[in-house]
Amino acid sequence: MKKRLIATGAMFIGLLFSSVSLSAHHGNAEFAIGKTVTVKGTVTKWFWANPHCILSFDAKADDGQLVHWVVETQPPQSIVPGGFSKQTFKPGDVVTITLEPVKNGLPLGRMLGAVLPDGTKLVTGHLD
Amino acid sequence: MTKGLAVSTAVVAAGLMLSPVLGAQTAAPKAAAQAQPEKWNSIPPLKASDYAGKKPGPAPRRDLSGIWDAPEFQGARQVSGALEHPALLPTKGGGSQGGQSDETGIAHPVPYTAAGLAALKANHPSGPGVRQFPAALANDPLDQCDPAGFPRMELYQFRTIELVQTGNQVIDLNEFYGGWRIIWTDGRELPKDPDPRWNGYSVGKWADDYTFVVETTGLNKRSWVDHAGRPHSDELRVEERFHRVDHDNMELTVIINDPKMYTEPWVALNKFVLHLQPPDFDMAELLCSPIDMADYNKQIGDVVIEDSGKK
Repeated sequence: MKKRLIATGAMFIGLLFSSVSLSAHHGNAEFAIGKTVTVKGTVTKWFWANPHCILSFDAKADDGQLVHWVVETQPPQSIVPGGFSKQTFKPGDVVTITLEPVKNGLPLGRMLGAVLPDGTKLVTGHLD
Repeated sequence: MTKGLAVSTAVVAAGLMLSPVLGAQTAAPKAAAQAQPEKWNSIPPLKASDYAGKKPGPAPRRDLSGIWDAPEFQGARQVSGALEHPALLPTKGGGSQGGQSDETGIAHPVPYTAAGLAALKANHPSGPGVRQFPAALANDPLDQCDPAGFPRMELYQFRTIELVQTGNQVIDLNEFYGGWRIIWTDGRELPKDPDPRWNGYSVGKWADDYTFVVETTGLNKRSWVDHAGRPHSDELRVEERFHRVDHDNMELTVIINDPKMYTEPWVALNKFVLHLQPPDFDMAELLCSPIDMADYNKQIGDVVIEDSGKK
């Protein structure tokens, strides 16, 4: 697949159909800034690395279907001061996550805070 | 310790050792952590009040050496652009969601030439800021793990630096994306028409016993000046003034001078206070790794963008 450099709006259509390469790292525009959603679910994975840590967890929607949430944080050393570590989440943990969701309604977002199984409350501190 | 206390302490210790395996594993490391403070991936003080009430000693003469923190609580992250010129409207945070083709109306305008304004518009930052672009149109070199370069390493995600002084150099190690540069103090001239470097060519000298002035040139014009996508040409010259105020504090001023892009020099950082950290402060690693970035994109980055495009 050819990479495309975006020069004009006309080429935007082309980008939709080309592969998304290394330049795919999103920014602020994809998030519903200021909106907060709280979801309770079960951890499936905690990915601890640059550029973002990622928590994957499953929650039940109103219709009983499982929703697979994927929520990111800032890099490890930005959230360590808030009490996060590689050991914070384990698969199977039941947690409550407060997040800023993406605009298009997909189960994706940026983590604002977490309540762990033992009741510990953690806050990521910032989103930038 | 009295004998009674020693005995009861021993009983408690024995109790810890006999507790279920999981309990013992969590109890012992906690005790060890309290005995020895964390030596690796050090965390600097997080609040201004952490530094209050301290009476630092006098500034040493002609000495910048040490590990210096640029605190987040002072705005060091600069996510909307250089601290003195964020790409935001005067209303608090106003314009943080883009929608403008240029920086008209921001609180502290930057003095662009016509060429500078055109170059600005070609840079598509991811925000927050008046010119925030959706990811599919953003073209920040950092998102492809290109170097931050200079001066962006001090004007975006400015975290911690280590300055090492030798007989003929000041070595500057910057935490963000592992940027480093050598500032020559042997009196040499800056090079004329050098091969461009992301981190430039730097020379420095003491203006007085407490002020160190650095000039940097030969900067690769692929780099952005800051996170708002401010441009620069090959004529960019950056002046830094490091002013050692006292033993624990240093003020950094950064001045951007690029006659092709800007009608006059502008101050990007103005006496920004850097705080000396203990000599055993271990800087965390924050490198951009293409393979880490690809993993991240597979899980979240690509998903967000592909579906954003389907509107």
